[in-house]
Amino acid sequence: MEARQIKNSAHGATTRTVAQLGFALLLSFGIGVAHAQDTHPASASAKDVQAKLAYCEVCHGVSAQGFRGYYPIPRLAGQQPQYLENQLQAFVEHRRTNNIMFNVGHDLSPAMITALVTDFHELNPKPLGGAPKDLIPVGKKIFDEGIPAANVPACSSCHGPDGKGNGPFPRLAGQLNDYTISKLVNWTKERGQNPASPDTSAIMAPIAHSLTKPQIEAVAAYLSYLE
Amino acid sequence: MILVRDWRRRTPKGLGLQTTIVAAVFVIAGHANAMETTALQAKIGYCQDCHGSSAQGYRGYLPIPRLAGQQTGYIENQLRAFIEHRRTNNIMFNVAHTLSPAMISALAAHFRDLNPPPIGGAPRELVAAGEKIFQDGVPDANIAACAACHGPQASGTGQIPRLAGQLYPYVIKELMNWGKERGQNPTVPDTSAIMSPVAHSLSRSQIEAVAAYVSYLK
Repeated sequence: MEARQIKNSAHGATTRTVAQLGFALLLSFGIGVAHAQDTHPASASAKDVQAKLAYCEVCHGVSAQGFRGYYPIPRLAGQQPQYLENQLQAFVEHRRTNNIMFNVGHDLSPAMITALVTDFHELNPKPLGGAPKDLIPVGKKIFDEGIPAANVPACSSCHGPDGKGNGPFPRLAGQLNDYTISKLVNWTKERGQNPASPDTSAIMAPIAHSLTKPQIEAVAAYLSYLE
Repeated sequence: MILVRDWRRRTPKGLGLQTTIVAAVFVIAGHANAMETTALQAKIGYCQDCHGSSAQGYRGYLPIPRLAGQQTGYIENQLRAFIEHRRTNNIMFNVAHTLSPAMISALAAHFRDLNPPPIGGAPRELVAAGEKIFQDGVPDANIAACAACHGPQASGTGQIPRLAGQLYPYVIKELMNWGKERGQNPTVPDTSAIMSPVAHSLSRSQIEAVAAYVSYLK
């Protein structure tokens, strides 16, 4: 919390003196507060990070492998830190619509976010699985080659040939197939919700729009088994 | 997730596989007919003695939970947990260990389709706070939103239980005693482990609020 500023009164000298005295008093409090601030670590404590990770894993699954709750809850393990940070920001700013994740996100300090995304990136459990395996060959073809006739670029061109992503481009390898399907089908209903503040989710909008449901299901199945 | 042993795979030694399958089909068909008329009805009546006339739950010496509208995957898991003593309850152990797999499936399907109104009775003034915890979680106390897994109407899904209309004192008892009653075999960890951190993090008053909220949901 920052020290509160006192506006100096424009009225008479006495008032100004009182205001200045009051300001001095508050400044000393402010310095006191600021000093207390300095003793709080800039980084989150290991204990707090571990507790927060355990909380994330209640929904996101053991080692953040993902979990099939009422909704499919995505794998975070091995995810690109920049992508995770962007999404948390999007949830907090309501550019991406999700009440539960808004509540999760708006409570996190920058230091905590940095610690969490770093830790998630290091996790590497096996994919949760469960997708129909017969869709894999079709999904792989779409992932590797795109669908030129529908102007759908190869997913691999941005997400990497191994689906592990890069920087702001998310890892897709090992993602829950029902989660991937749900996201692609609902892309513009959930993301980019503030037209006054366009974000990187716009990149995927035409692609999500052009893919048919069977194509989405195939790609999602393929990705869900990648390690 | 726990591995569900498929009872139907067992075949008697000495018979050909095809003969066994044909015999099994007739036996199961015969059993299904018999169960629908007599044995199943008798068993349902027996469950209702404790769980209420429409399985809405009952305040016995201990609160006896609502089974009406419950997810079949969850009922089947709990019956198995009682049988294997992974969930501690002497009465339910005795109930469950006499049930055939076919009877368990039939009972679960029957309860799933019941829909009596909640029996109610919880303090109404707790409902608003309970709703907030249920839908939003308590992020700064690292308490996940119940709705993420149990659904926004607390209907549950698959193996995740319905909480809507569950008895207020029962929900409190379960959450307060989670680690003492469930997951009792450390060598056979089960899905109850998911709830341990949640039950542990919730304070008594938060538990009461959530319990009150879900107890009125339909």
